Amino acid sequence: MDVDADLGQGQREAVEDGSAAGAGLGPPASGAEQAERRLEHMREVAAPSLGYLSLEQMLSEMLERIRDELRADTAVLLLLDEDRGVLVARAARGLEEEVRQGVQVPLARGFAGRVAAKAQPVIIDDLNHADVVNPLLRQKGIRSLLGVPVRVEGRVIGVLHVGTLHQRRFVQEDIALLEIASDRAALAIDNARSVEQRAVTEIMQRTLLPEALPQIPGLRFSAKYLPAGTTVRIGGDWYDVFQLPSGRLSLVIGDVVGRGVLAASVMAEIRTALRAYLMEGHELSQAMSLLNELLVAMGRNRSATAAIIELDLESGELASVSAGHLPALVIEADGSSRFLEVPPGVPLGISLHARYERRRDQLPVGATLRLYSDGLVERRGEAIDEGLARLGSAAQAAAAAEDASFADRVYRRLVDETSVEDDIALLAVESLPLGPSLQLTLDAQPGVLAGLRSTLGRWLASEGVAENELFDITLATSEAAANAVEHAYRAEQATFLVSCEHEAHSVRVAVRDRGRWRDARSYGRGRGLSIMRALMDTVEIERGEDGTTVVLTKRLATGAA
Amino acid sequence: MIEIEVERLDGIPVARPRGDIDAANASTVREQLAACLDVDTDKLVVDLGETRYVDSAGIDMLFRLGERLRQRRATLLLVIPGDSQLQRLATIVALPSALPVCETVAQALGGCVRESGA
Repeated sequence: MDVDADLGQGQREAVEDGSAAGAGLGPPASGAEQAERRLEHMREVAAPSLGYLSLEQMLSEMLERIRDELRADTAVLLLLDEDRGVLVARAARGLEEEVRQGVQVPLARGFAGRVAAKAQPVIIDDLNHADVVNPLLRQKGIRSLLGVPVRVEGRVIGVLHVGTLHQRRFVQEDIALLEIASDRAALAIDNARSVEQRAVTEIMQRTLLPEALPQIPGLRFSAKYLPAGTTVRIGGDWYDVFQLPSGRLSLVIGDVVGRGVLAASVMAEIRTALRAYLMEGHELSQAMSLLNELLVAMGRNRSATAAIIELDLESGELASVSAGHLPALVIEADGSSRFLEVPPGVPLGISLHARYERRRDQLPVGATLRLYSDGLVERRGEAIDEGLARLGSAAQAAAAAEDASFADRVYRRLVDETSVEDDIALLAVESLPLGPSLQLTLDAQPGVLAGLRSTLGRWLASEGVAENELFDITLATSEAAANAVEHAYRAEQATFLVSCEHEAHSVRVAVRDRGRWRDARSYGRGRGLSIMRALMDTVEIERGEDGTTVVLTKRLATGAA
Repeated sequence: MIEIEVERLDGIPVARPRGDIDAANASTVREQLAACLDVDTDKLVVDLGETRYVDSAGIDMLFRLGERLRQRRATLLLVIPGDSQLQRLATIVALPSALPVCETVAQALGGCVRESGA
């Protein structure tokens, strides 16, 4: 049988084997000088020159050197899978089948298992008289084995063993050499693992959080993300911000219960799903219901809280819905603050029958909206109200300062980074007054039109332009922009410019493209031009060598100046 | 990209686009609206009460849709709230000369007699 219950006759624990240690240093021919040279060679098994190799290649190269230096026939490295309590062959020389067959040795059983469990070198003088778990060792005809634990900071992470096809009595010097090699291997593995983990984490973070916050005139975004824990810098919190096809802005914050990679993977799924629901045009409470149904259906006993806020850039109107998430904070232009009122809602993933109710509010110019996760306000042994109160005052104080992004300022006031017990996500949107002019550079594709209308509407509203004039100027500009999009020459990444000025009771808009203005022959285009003429006071089309500029002006009848 | 809510009132399909109709989505909206009309109805009500902007591509689409329905011996009825900006636009582009435009869904369901053919 392969079961190895006890030390066989031929097996000994190296530490008890005083005779081997005392039997002289290695083969008779070797003097102290030669021993020193071998040690030196062994220290170089993980030389920096191997640093460019992948971990697998590096380990394999190291094993080759170990095999040479110890004049062994086989060299194998097994790494401990802590979750499953087994040693898994990761690299081998002379016994490559171990890796190919994915040999796994349970802890405390078999030769390697015993080395790991005892955390001491183990020698088998004669395999014929010992029990081993792994049939490969016997099939290969191995007679003698020497194994040492691979340790990182005193913790066993694997086993390194060498074997010979002829019977050999491994001696103390062999053990010393293999232990040096094992230390070097441990270092290399640990380095590679942390590099690997960092890389994975960075990729995940990049994928999980928005690449960049949107650039929208009149709005300033800031965000902060800090996962709990020190090793894996990802967690279940997320924020998202994107412009909908309607031109409205979607702001999302959420928190998947749990921590680390597992919570992050659930978060990644529901973040993407929610984005898709919203982009498809689902109304807020409906999108939240769909997300809830999805999470319930995923059936992994995962729950999450989330809040979605939709901001109409033109009117500053907010719609919000919450699934058990803490209320967003509004800091008004005068510095006073209040929490956005919204029915709390059932957290996602708990009940298929949960319903979510949308509430409307307003974000006036000069105000700031803050979405955050509970890690920002919760402290152990403290009521949530105290945390919310602290957040309110920190946000007010931060609104007065100007030295860093708003999110950064609030964050610094509330969080001592060394004591983060839970993930923290923070997203802030400041609504800034727009100046008397507005410059936009837009991609020449129809999808930008809705965003253009909402930004322009927002600017006109902040300039005090009356409702029907706002409508006329915005729609006329949208028509001119649609022409620019249609006529933009087919170059990829073509853009067009929209510049708007408000001066002395009139608004002037110039839409400049680099394409050729075509004669207004077709039905649709002809209508576009007549709409512009009907809505504006003047419409001028300047055809130039390098493009076409449409200049629209409108005198304002009402009091705005 | 635009959500269109469809309900049946008195057996007549009433479609309500949520959002603007412009060059980016006009053809999709037309297909979606046309799909609302089935064999047993000869009316389609399009309620623009939740629509802020309709650009020339959108207006063009409504004219074409009206024409398409006429060929199928059906009527396209538009609902545009009376005090809305869209109402002014409808007048500018003479929409009521080609399509019945009503102020409320109830009027549209009743045949939109008052505004029809203005």
